[in-house]
Amino acid sequence: MTLRKRLSGWLADAALILYFVFALFPIAWMVILSLKPTNQLFSTYFSFSPTLDGYRTVLGDSEGIPFVRFFVNSLVVSLGAVALSLLVGLPAAYASARWRFKGSENLMFTLLSFRFAPELTVIIPLFVLYQKLGLFDTYVGMVWVLQLVTLPLIVWIMRSYFADLTPELEQAALLDGYSRKQAFFKVAIPLVKPGIAAVSLLAFIFAWNNFVFPLILTSNEAQTVTVGALSFLGGDRPKYNLTAAAALVSVVPPLLLALTIQRYLVRGLSFGAVKS
Amino acid sequence: MSTAIALRGIRKTYGKNTALDGLELDVAEGEFFCLLGPSGAGKTTTLKTVAGLEQPDAGTVELDGKDMRGVEPYDRGVAMCFESYALYPHKSAYDNLASPLRSPRHRLPAAQARERIGEIAELLGISALLDRPVGRLSNGQRQRVALGRVLVRPARAFLLDEPLSHLDAKLRQQMRAELKAIGAVQRTTTLYVTHDSVEALALGDRIGVIRDGRLVQTGTREEIWYRPSDTEVARAFGRPRINLLPGVVTQDGGFRSADGTIELPVGAQAAPGTDVLIGLRPRDITLHGPGHELTGTVYVTEVLGRSVEVTVRLGEQQVSLVAPRSDTTGLRPDDPVRLSVRPENLLLFEADRPERPGRRIETR
Amino acid sequence: MGWRLTLRPYVLIVPALLLTCGILYPFGLGLYYTLFDFSASKPQPDMVRFENYETVFTQEAFWNSAWVTVLYAVGAAAVETVLGVAVALLLHRSTIVGRVLEKILILPLMIAPVIAAIIWKLMLQPSVGVINYLLKPFGLGGVQWTDTPTGALLSSIAVDVWVYTPFVAILALAGLRSLPTSPFEAAAVDGAGWWYTFRRLTLPMLWPYVLVAVIFRFMDSLKVFDIIYALTEGGPGDSTVVLQIRAYLEAIRFQRYSFGISYTIVLWAVVYLAAMVLVKHLGKIQRKAAEVAAK
Repeated sequence: MTLRKRLSGWLADAALILYFVFALFPIAWMVILSLKPTNQLFSTYFSFSPTLDGYRTVLGDSEGIPFVRFFVNSLVVSLGAVALSLLVGLPAAYASARWRFKGSENLMFTLLSFRFAPELTVIIPLFVLYQKLGLFDTYVGMVWVLQLVTLPLIVWIMRSYFADLTPELEQAALLDGYSRKQAFFKVAIPLVKPGIAAVSLLAFIFAWNNFVFPLILTSNEAQTVTVGALSFLGGDRPKYNLTAAAALVSVVPPLLLALTIQRYLVRGLSFGAVKS
Repeated sequence: MSTAIALRGIRKTYGKNTALDGLELDVAEGEFFCLLGPSGAGKTTTLKTVAGLEQPDAGTVELDGKDMRGVEPYDRGVAMCFESYALYPHKSAYDNLASPLRSPRHRLPAAQARERIGEIAELLGISALLDRPVGRLSNGQRQRVALGRVLVRPARAFLLDEPLSHLDAKLRQQMRAELKAIGAVQRTTTLYVTHDSVEALALGDRIGVIRDGRLVQTGTREEIWYRPSDTEVARAFGRPRINLLPGVVTQDGGFRSADGTIELPVGAQAAPGTDVLIGLRPRDITLHGPGHELTGTVYVTEVLGRSVEVTVRLGEQQVSLVAPRSDTTGLRPDDPVRLSVRPENLLLFEADRPERPGRRIETR
Repeated sequence: MGWRLTLRPYVLIVPALLLTCGILYPFGLGLYYTLFDFSASKPQPDMVRFENYETVFTQEAFWNSAWVTVLYAVGAAAVETVLGVAVALLLHRSTIVGRVLEKILILPLMIAPVIAAIIWKLMLQPSVGVINYLLKPFGLGGVQWTDTPTGALLSSIAVDVWVYTPFVAILALAGLRSLPTSPFEAAAVDGAGWWYTFRRLTLPMLWPYVLVAVIFRFMDSLKVFDIIYALTEGGPGDSTVVLQIRAYLEAIRFQRYSFGISYTIVLWAVVYLAAMVLVKHLGKIQRKAAEVAAK
């Protein structure tokens, strides 16, 4: 019995390891590929003389692809989108968690429906509209359209955090002599701070990882890394090692951030529908 | 005496549930007023309405004669102790106590604040806990911190929502005794909510009994005890509970029990033949004392420390009484006993109806 | 003064409301465009009423795309559910191996799907790709992964599975950890076996969590774009042209804006209907789970 138990335990661990090989091997191989010199690209698989030339080329803006600028663009539009969403989303989340009133539920479900709407429904008209308004290929245009990704996430998740917070804490603050604004900033906000941090990071990651919006609504000036990385695959002779290097560079920020929000991920991913 | 808190026709509903149904309440300046009722009666809603945390659907709240409509909670100058404590979980006990004294409206210089917090903490026996984060306090300790946050500041009125409910029995008894001796409480109008009738009788200058969002009776403890407005108020006070025996009013205004075994002259102000309940408080019934006499047999006895609760069978009814231990020695089940009741201690009520408890009937 | 109290919540949501309207406007505009024959070659469009939709529904290309989309969504969601729940169950044992691996579970999920597709494209590449190299010892070298219709669809699903299995696993694991312990203790006392416990207790109580994940996954994969765009661009031929890719080709490549949007509107309707059915189902499942937990 115990032998059988131990055996099945090992089997389970082996199965788990097998899955993680599947999950991690592509990333590992990407690292390997990115370190290959161009002349050994097609000749070998695992034995070669590693070089950082690929990264130098990608970050050196050669090949006519301004990858560093794309990186900065990604940073700017993602940060901008999260900041704007927090600014308008936190009060809305708070209001809809605290008061049942007409319009709030409608707003909440409209926001949720954005999560499930095909992106192209909004992008194609925006593509036409942005050309007219001069927002095509600009930061403002990108920050605006990324609200589609970041705003529903922030509002829905923060609403579930605020709803978990008993209103009596803020009521106590009011009776202690603080204004509603002070009660919000001194009591409510500090208590949901972990939630705000987690959801901001998650929203940042999703904004960073977005591909359709910059693909269609930018061409060069405001283009981001996700679109930029793809351009290394173009041309007559695809530069596989450079593509790998660019892909790795563009996944570093989200991967690093992701590891810091492990604990809050469940609620974030399920839009607050499942609490951890 | 002027009226400090006045509620006029307060109505509050949450969806289909009516929390307050035309509540009228007056609390005099400096008074300690106890609001007693079962859970769900609307006690907490009443406090929150006074504080301005809930907006009534109808009716007005007046503080010191001024209509409070549209006045924000922080401008009403009342302090409230929440049943859930509502302590700031991210702060220490000290910072919780200091919170009102750091607010723009009740600000004290830091040194003065420290002194004041020290006094209150001493009074409540939480001096040693001040540095602890709230998360590391027991429920009883939290409750005292919550009470302290109210007492630490000057207020037009204190609103206390079951402030002793989570203390252990011994501490509760001690705090009950000490609460009214606290200077701040003596000076300040206090509206105190509880479901514990003993607490209400011990603390309240006046007591209001609330039921289904209405005040059924208001009065001093004597008025509530001796002239309860209906059977439920009578049942709410006193342990063991009041004995209520069914019967009818006789031709000469007396009471005859349903099974005909008990007859008592009460001088009922009701038509003969009316269905009634007669109320006898267990501590008002004596063995071999003066007054009307009733005979029955012992059903069961239960020792309650120095006194004994005796349940006596009177015909088809059972009556419990509390007697000194010395009077009950040798009583065995089925022993015959003679009980006596003083006429002034008899209470007469209409029979209970499904829609409302029976009202008290005047007796001569 | 009373009006201030009723107005306060509205003041707080006004900015979000305005922003939402700013997003709704292009949606509305898109819907409006579908009633015209707006395209780059016809900037002054004429009203054609529902002609665009009629064309969509009578085109063979639409039905092909719809079929491919359903295959993709069902395939991806099904594999991710089974694999994700399995991984969650294995991690729930919290052995040393499990606890170490759990920390890196989310990594693929945090990689942009388009980058994931690039990575897999490089791996599946017939000449430099490492997959064929690794398969060579098994006599399976030289597979044209993304160049055959079936291979392309399966490869796309594989990328989706690689990225999103952690999503299902994370939600299922959260579900497993929040299950009440008493039914399991009772079952253990009764001497119930692993399989019985799993089928009668774990699975019914876990389903609501899994179903939330499935809903998200199924609806997301109905509107897949990034992965297919980067991996196959819809090819070879029309074999992986899912609805959003078709809409993209029509609207952006061929610049037939009105017609392209019509495709996305139809897709939206499909997603919405699927959501309604699944959410209704979720309610039923949740009630059942509550019953099991209460027993």
